[in-house]
Formats: sequence, C-alpha cells, structure tokens
Amino acid sequence: MWRSDAATLKFAPQDGLEVVASGTVEVFEKAGRYQLYVRKLEPRGVGALELAFRQLCEKLKKEGLFEQERKRRIPVHPQRIAIVSSPSGAAIVDMLRTIERRYPCVQVLLYPVRVQGDGAAAEIAAGIRNVNANAERLGGIDVMIVGRGGGSLEDLWAFNEEIVARAIYASRIPIISAVGHEVDVTIADLVADVRAATPTAAAELVVPVLSDVLDQLHALERRAYRSARGRTELLQTRLGGVMKRDPWREASGLVRRREQVLDELAIRAQRSLASRVHKARRTLESADPIIRKIAPHSYLLRTGVRIQAAQHALQWAISRRLAEYQRLILNHEIRSDRASPAHQIQSLREKVVRLSRSIPAGLASGLVLWNHRLQSHEALLTAVSHKSVLARGFSITRLKKGRKIVRSVAELKDQQRLVTQVSDGEFESEAVNIRQQELFDEP
Amino acid sequence: MSKRKLTFEEALKQLETIAEQIERGTIGLEESIDKYEEGMALVKQCRDILSKAELKIQQLQQRADGTLETTSFKRPPETNISLDS
Repeated sequence: MWRSDAATLKFAPQDGLEVVASGTVEVFEKAGRYQLYVRKLEPRGVGALELAFRQLCEKLKKEGLFEQERKRRIPVHPQRIAIVSSPSGAAIVDMLRTIERRYPCVQVLLYPVRVQGDGAAAEIAAGIRNVNANAERLGGIDVMIVGRGGGSLEDLWAFNEEIVARAIYASRIPIISAVGHEVDVTIADLVADVRAATPTAAAELVVPVLSDVLDQLHALERRAYRSARGRTELLQTRLGGVMKRDPWREASGLVRRREQVLDELAIRAQRSLASRVHKARRTLESADPIIRKIAPHSYLLRTGVRIQAAQHALQWAISRRLAEYQRLILNHEIRSDRASPAHQIQSLREKVVRLSRSIPAGLASGLVLWNHRLQSHEALLTAVSHKSVLARGFSITRLKKGRKIVRSVAELKDQQRLVTQVSDGEFESEAVNIRQQELFDEP
Repeated sequence: MSKRKLTFEEALKQLETIAEQIERGTIGLEESIDKYEEGMALVKQCRDILSKAELKIQQLQQRADGTLETTSFKRPPETNISLDS
C-alpha cells in the first residue's frame, strides 16, 4: 500500500485483522512473486470508521482520558459560556434559544468552527485551546459547549478524532459535549466532563432556570431574615425574663425580707423598752405607799403631839427627852434619807436612762450591719440593672423634658429634645425624621 | 470581603453560609446583624446579576497575535423545526 493511500485509512491495520482489500496485482516473473497493491482497505464485518472508533476508544481508555475522577465540575450558575460550534447550524439556534428562555442573564461567546469535512477536527481542537488561552482576557469562561447538530457518522466524524479528544482533555474550562442526536456517542462525548444528548440538552445542562434561582435566592433571604429576627426576639424575651425574674426579683425579695426582720426587731426593742419602763414605774408606784407610811413628816407630827402633851405635863423634865427625841429623829432622817425609796427610785431612773440609751445604741449598730448588707444587695442589683446592659452597647433614650424613657416612636414629637444615656455618660439630641419601622425590612 | 467582585456562585455560597451562621446562633447579636446586612448586600448583588434580562451574544475572532477579540454576532434565523428532536 502506498503511503498516500495509507493516509486515508481511518483505522490502524493490525495483525490478524480480517479485511477486504481491493487494488491491483502485479506479477514479478523472474522472482516468481505476486505483489498486491492495496488501494482500499475495509475491515471485514464492520466499517472502517467503526473500527477506528473502537481502536481510538481503547487507546484513550487505557490512557485514562475517560476516567470519571478526572472530570471537571460544571458550575451551576455560569456567567460566561463559550460555545465552539458552527455559527450557522441549527445547533447554535437551538442552544441560544434554550439559554435565552431559561437564563438570559449570561454572556455567550461563540467560537465559530467548521464541524464537518477536512480540517474540521483541527479547527475544533484549536477553538478549545484558544478559548482556554484567552479565558482570562475574556473575563473568565465558566463553561464551554463543544458540539453540532445531527448528521451521519461521517458528518460527526470530527468529534471522533484524537486531536479533538486531546484538546477536550487538556481544557481547564469544564466542557459539555453536544454532538448529534441521543443515539450518537462520539469520542468527544466520552472525554467531555458532561455529555449532553443534543445541543438543546446541553443548553439545559449549562444554565439553571432563572425563576428557580430567584426562588432559591428569596428562600435564602427569608431564612436569614427569619433567623435574624428570631434571634432578636429571643434576646428581647430573655432580657425581659431577666428583668422580671431570677436575681432581680430574688434580690428585691431578699431586701424586703430583711426589711421585715428589721421592722420586727424594732418593734421588739420598743416593746421590751416599754415593758422595762413600765416595770420600773410599777416598782416606783408600789414603793409610794411605803414612802408615805414611813414618811418622816407624819412621824414627826405624831411625835410632836406627844411632845406637846408631855410638854404640858412635864415642861422641863421632858425637855431633855425632847432633845433626845429630836436627836433620834435627826438620826432617823439621815438614815432613811440614805436608804430611802426616793434614792432607790433615782438609781432606777438612772438605770432606765442607761437602758434606754444602750438599747437604741444596739439597734443602731444592728442598722449599720443591715445597711452594709443592703449595700451588697444593691451591688447585685446593679449587676443586673440597665447599667450593665448599657455597657453592652444598648442605650436609653429619654425625653429631655420629664426624663421619660422613650419606648416607642409614638411617644415622640418632631424636633423633641432627647437625652440618650450610654454606658459612660449621656448626650442630647433632637428627634427628626421619626419613622415607625420594623427592625428589619421584610423582604 | 475581597475587592474582586464575587461571581454569582461565590456570592450565593457566601449567602448560604451567612444564613446558616445566623440560624445556628453561634455568633453574637451584633455580629448576626452585621452578617444579616452583609447577606442582604449579597442578595442585591445576585439579583443585579440575574436582572440582566437580555442574552448577550458575541462572536470570537482570532487576531494575528493569536488573541481573541469579540465581535457582534448575527443570529441565524429561527426555524420552527429543531434538528435535535
């Protein structure tokens, strides 16, 4: 077989291959030899193209070009798509129409090539390489479609050539192949990252449906909105719970209980003081008749009567006795003065005064203790009070007039002076542009 | 966020991450509000990309230096019969 003829062979002849050969026979008489000049060679049973396909398939498979693991991922939301195909075929019309219908927000770059005939394979391969080489300059190509519409096996042949397979394999940009109809499977299909049955199918694979993407976007937006809103509501509830419950209420309850104890103590102290005074008064009162009974005054009077009677009878003789009596009285007076109830009363009175002084003093020291405890409760209250909330970045806004806390914009008038308290101080401002609004805009 | 404009896919992925972060509640309130605002900006960015209603089609042409230039592409007339099916 001459080289020029051999070049037209689509398949590689192998030992043991059954072929149908046609050509001319020449006879070399001297050597007694026949030479067969083969012009055409056809594998027996299958067509030449079929065999070539099988042979290349086997070769590339061995090299791992069809391996699933090496295939690139097709992006779900491309923005720039390159198409290597014929600019005039039905395939490009179908693809553009489908892309436009589903997802018109992309840019399509068409690399025009011949898709059949001599040199088509080389053009397709060059197209794939050129798009790859220029991808950056074109703003980045997300995905490439290589293909053509339906035709005969010969028409589709370019997509079965090794040069195309190698170009697809070498591409950095993911490639969707779209050659012919459903039934046509080419080498390009096997090497491509994704095989689409038809050009229309390729367009469906390459872009999502816009409304689906918008729905997805909306769903995400709702999710973020709901959870952000839920977060703030949860925190508000928790804050309310903290203010109402737990340490806040406990602390104030504690203070109330302490106050009660203090009140009781005061009452008890008062009572005991009163009862002591009462007792002392009773002692005084019971001592009164005794004092009266042994009163030196009446004793003196009685004695005086007797002295007068004696004086009458025994003027002089008795006078000495009188003096003696007088002396006795005097002595009695001195003694009774010393141990007198009056004296006792006086000392009792002093005792009462001392007691009445010491009891309030005890109460006072108790109060100091309670005051101290109250202060520690106050510290606890501060910890849960608004001040720590302020420290976390919240602020309290009050009307300047009346210092009423602003809880709603409904409480505001335009240009109303406000005082805003933050963690370390306060500042004034003016309410302008008052709007009633949700924390987040409902999408 | 980087200065480079995010691709649609990147923006969408970031948006998903943000929604998840806010949902899980592992970030603080202030951060989740920041994230929410960031997410809404991403939503807007995605919508802007999607709102380009007209399919932009250009043809590539190889220059002498091997680089490609884009030229306008005249679409072949539509036929009612598709060769696909």
